[in-house]
Amino acid sequence: MLEYAGSQRTGLQRNRDEGVALAGVLRSLDWLLVAGVAGLVAVGLWAISGVTRFDVTGNPDYYVKRQIVYVCVGVVALAIGLLLDPDLYRRLWRPIFFGTIGLIAIVLVVGRAARGSTRWIDVGFFTFQPSEFGKLLFVLAIAGFVAERARAAADPTTTLRTIGLGLVPILFVFAQPDLGTALVYAAALAAMLFVAGTPWRQLAALGSLVAIVIAFVLWIGPAAGVNVLHGYQKSRLTCFVHPQKCTVDARYNLEQSIAAVGSGEFHGRGPKNATQTRLNFLPEHGTDFVFASFAEQRGFVGASLLLALYLLVLWRGLRVVTVARDLYSAIVAGGIVVALLFQIFVNIGMTMGIAPITGIPLPFVSVGGSSMIANLAAMGILLAIHARGRVARSPRRSR
Amino acid sequence: MASTVEAPPVLPAPEPEVQPEPLAPWRNTRITRRAAVLGVLLLVVFAALFLRLWALQVLTGTKYVQQAQANSFRSVPVPAARGQILDRDGHPLVTNAPETAIQIWPSDLPRTRYPELRRLSQLTAVPLREIAHAIVRKRDDPLTPVTVRADANEHLVAYLAEHAAEFPGVTTGRAYIRHYPYQSLAAQLLGYVGAISPEELTTHRGYDMNDQIGQAGIEATYDRYLRGVDGTAKRRLDALGRARSGLQPTQQPKPGHTVRLTLSLSLQKAAEQALQDGIAFAHEDGQWAANGGAIVALDPNDGSILAMASSPTYKPSVYAGRVTTKTLAAQGLTPATAAGANYPSLNRATMATYPPGSTFKPVTALAAMQTHLVSPYSTLPCTGSYVSPDDRSHHPFQNWDPNVNQAMDMPTALAYSCDTYFYQLGNAFYELPGDRGQPLQEWAKTFGFGSPTGVDVGPEETGLVPTKAWRERRFSKAKDPCCWQVDQLWKPGNSIQLAIGQGDLLVTPLQMARFYALIANGGKLVTPHLLYDVENPNGTPVPTPALPSPKTVDVDPAALQVVKQGLWDGAHLTDGTSYPVFGKFPVSISGKTGTAEKIVTLPGYQGNKDQSWWCGYGPSEDAKLVVCAVIENGGHGGTAAAPAAAEVFAKFFNVKVQATVSKHSD
Repeated sequence: MLEYAGSQRTGLQRNRDEGVALAGVLRSLDWLLVAGVAGLVAVGLWAISGVTRFDVTGNPDYYVKRQIVYVCVGVVALAIGLLLDPDLYRRLWRPIFFGTIGLIAIVLVVGRAARGSTRWIDVGFFTFQPSEFGKLLFVLAIAGFVAERARAAADPTTTLRTIGLGLVPILFVFAQPDLGTALVYAAALAAMLFVAGTPWRQLAALGSLVAIVIAFVLWIGPAAGVNVLHGYQKSRLTCFVHPQKCTVDARYNLEQSIAAVGSGEFHGRGPKNATQTRLNFLPEHGTDFVFASFAEQRGFVGASLLLALYLLVLWRGLRVVTVARDLYSAIVAGGIVVALLFQIFVNIGMTMGIAPITGIPLPFVSVGGSSMIANLAAMGILLAIHARGRVARSPRRSR
Repeated sequence: MASTVEAPPVLPAPEPEVQPEPLAPWRNTRITRRAAVLGVLLLVVFAALFLRLWALQVLTGTKYVQQAQANSFRSVPVPAARGQILDRDGHPLVTNAPETAIQIWPSDLPRTRYPELRRLSQLTAVPLREIAHAIVRKRDDPLTPVTVRADANEHLVAYLAEHAAEFPGVTTGRAYIRHYPYQSLAAQLLGYVGAISPEELTTHRGYDMNDQIGQAGIEATYDRYLRGVDGTAKRRLDALGRARSGLQPTQQPKPGHTVRLTLSLSLQKAAEQALQDGIAFAHEDGQWAANGGAIVALDPNDGSILAMASSPTYKPSVYAGRVTTKTLAAQGLTPATAAGANYPSLNRATMATYPPGSTFKPVTALAAMQTHLVSPYSTLPCTGSYVSPDDRSHHPFQNWDPNVNQAMDMPTALAYSCDTYFYQLGNAFYELPGDRGQPLQEWAKTFGFGSPTGVDVGPEETGLVPTKAWRERRFSKAKDPCCWQVDQLWKPGNSIQLAIGQGDLLVTPLQMARFYALIANGGKLVTPHLLYDVENPNGTPVPTPALPSPKTVDVDPAALQVVKQGLWDGAHLTDGTSYPVFGKFPVSISGKTGTAEKIVTLPGYQGNKDQSWWCGYGPSEDAKLVVCAVIENGGHGGTAAAPAAAEVFAKFFNVKVQATVSKHSD
């Protein structure tokens, strides 16, 4: 009953504060985070303009022009995310959850096959990739479930139920098949459990389980004749551990990518002389291997600038977790930040041979509208959480 | 789902999940602690990335630069063999000769490239300036080599192979160049192939700057069938650009399609010989200025062209392999030398216009009968000269034969080629009231004069059918300041001149042949064409656009019969203008001579010269072949053009040519 009274009171207060909060959003923006995101977008466009310069004969700006359009749409998405109160997502987590599954399911039904996997829906002017938006929606939905059961966070049943719920969209994405994105979802799920306060013992048990599953999928299963993954997926995953054992194709990509990064040296070779990119030795240099191409053209200087900007954004993101107004917001922030971190690490690590090769786009850099728009929307939500946390913390309202 | 529908916030929420968590998170030390753990993870991950980046780029970067440079599986274009051009019986008219090309990869040239390029220039006999120009032209395309010359001989290839180390960036590759087994045969018609020009690149879709493209004639018209699709191959090259492996095909080139023409090799040879003979006949007759001409032979029923000769001509092989201004100039193919060689690249059958002279009389005859100006079997006086009653200057128009005074009906007038008969028809056209329009010109246009024939080997001249409106446009105050007010009037003389194919009237030999086909086939205006069919290299037919079906001209069959009678008489009656040539020809031939005055400018001479014409068909009934011959400045139609045409008929019908007796006639 006490909680009821409390909920009622905060509910009233929130309503009264709504106008104040909106007005205060700008004042309490995390300007460092804004600067970090703006810097990332700018470096991303710079990277694309160099990387794709020779991809379309006679039209060096083809991709960068398209990307600028996506950035514009993404900025609108960011603004919307910033202005909406994140509490809205908490209240609506169930429709969001089923919406996410529906969206991903649509792809399986009507999506068109691209490079052997189905990730896109063609809506005429734009091929829409729901699993990119799904990353964000997945975090918003699962966080709602976790926050609802915050008091029973230590209960193993809660943990298991959360995982059970999360596995539904993960398996849908995995079936596309898009192993990389499924892993991003899984990383976000783990992060949300972690932020919500799942006991270390349970986390340790989960970790061991995951290790066993990986061992089964990669080694024990195939030995016993059970293949969960396609051959190429397995080959790409293990290639960086045993380059000599993997298929010619996977090793070719990895070798070319490492050569591209390395040949950039300190200052970079510049778009004109970056032969790995220009002569197409490096496959997919506008999307999956964009970091390698960028590192070849702009060298250690450019690549570490990009890494530093990522670090800035992620650091500010983690700070948002600690200043969030409520547990739901904190979990959402944690999920977004870890999903981002995971993508950055796997993508960049893959190009340098320290992570498995998976088809994950590099946030804010890779050519692609869905990823850019979804990531900017996620940044808007992070900023919204930060701003409202600051407003809630201000002395006027703290008792 | 119902639980997610939000109640108004003023009311207590109906379900417990709307409650916030018990503790505000900034006071929740556990969250702060866990965020700190994530922070540590963040630092570890980024430390790993930074260190790896540092290790790759800064510590071992040089090694990877070398690897990237050695990484030179290079994609090489493999040219597709261009399709053959065959005659109607499958004799090859244009084929390909495989050659070895000397190529430069500019990105692999050493920094001081001048000495190497100069040596290459000496070896290949290609001026250094040309090589440098070609390299500059392909500056933006590092992935394809610059071809220095496509027809390197084996000594040069062997020398370059031995001295490869001294020529970094120079490789050899396969190339095809056009080969012409019959040399100058049908040169203007077949056309030639050359490197695509920047202008052509903007107007032709689907080509790139390394492509060859048909530049004239059949090669240009049917380039899309002939060109094929280039393939690619890859080859590993070392840092000096030297091949370290053979070519490994990645995409096989697709050879071009074979284009078969309606042309008959034997008839084309005969026509070209006939043209030379016709010029020789003219010379024998004292026509010193005879220096060119054209012969068209086509099937009157479908318009397929069996021979199309134009003289003077050239050898298209000068465009194959290395093209230099010097070799072009020797053949009269440069602007400076073209006039001296009497424009050998001009296809006179389609691109040259002449006054048709008497060969135009059937048009006047048909138009006059269709306009009911004359009854074909009533007679008009044929006299030595004619003065129009409407002509205020009383200018006498002379007949070619001043000593005649005889009443003639239309077939006789055609056979004898009586000018004064047709002057009277011309004057009758002039006297028509203004609201009847200009039927002679209208019929001439209906018969295809003044507009392109639609033949598939372009370009084509349209010629000119002069009308009142044309005179008004042509002689304006600005263009003719002294006399425009007089010149722009349509006078009796204009109609009279037009009636015998003189004056401003201009036609191409092909238009004329098409008109005689119409007489022969009973009123169908066919589309002359050269394309027989197209086959891919496996022999499977390739679909081609259908020809426009012959246009049936609404001309009275009885009037046509009168004209056919006149043309038969012209070749068979002893008074006929081409009787000496065709009177004893084993196959019945019908036709009309023409001697057309044209003001010409020749070296050292300017004035009127007679253009020798003969147009006709055979056999007279159910014609199989129409031949139209023009000998430029050849004098009388019966002495130069008619015997030339007879040689073509003789070849076609496989009969012996009769000894010809010259007869001066119109």
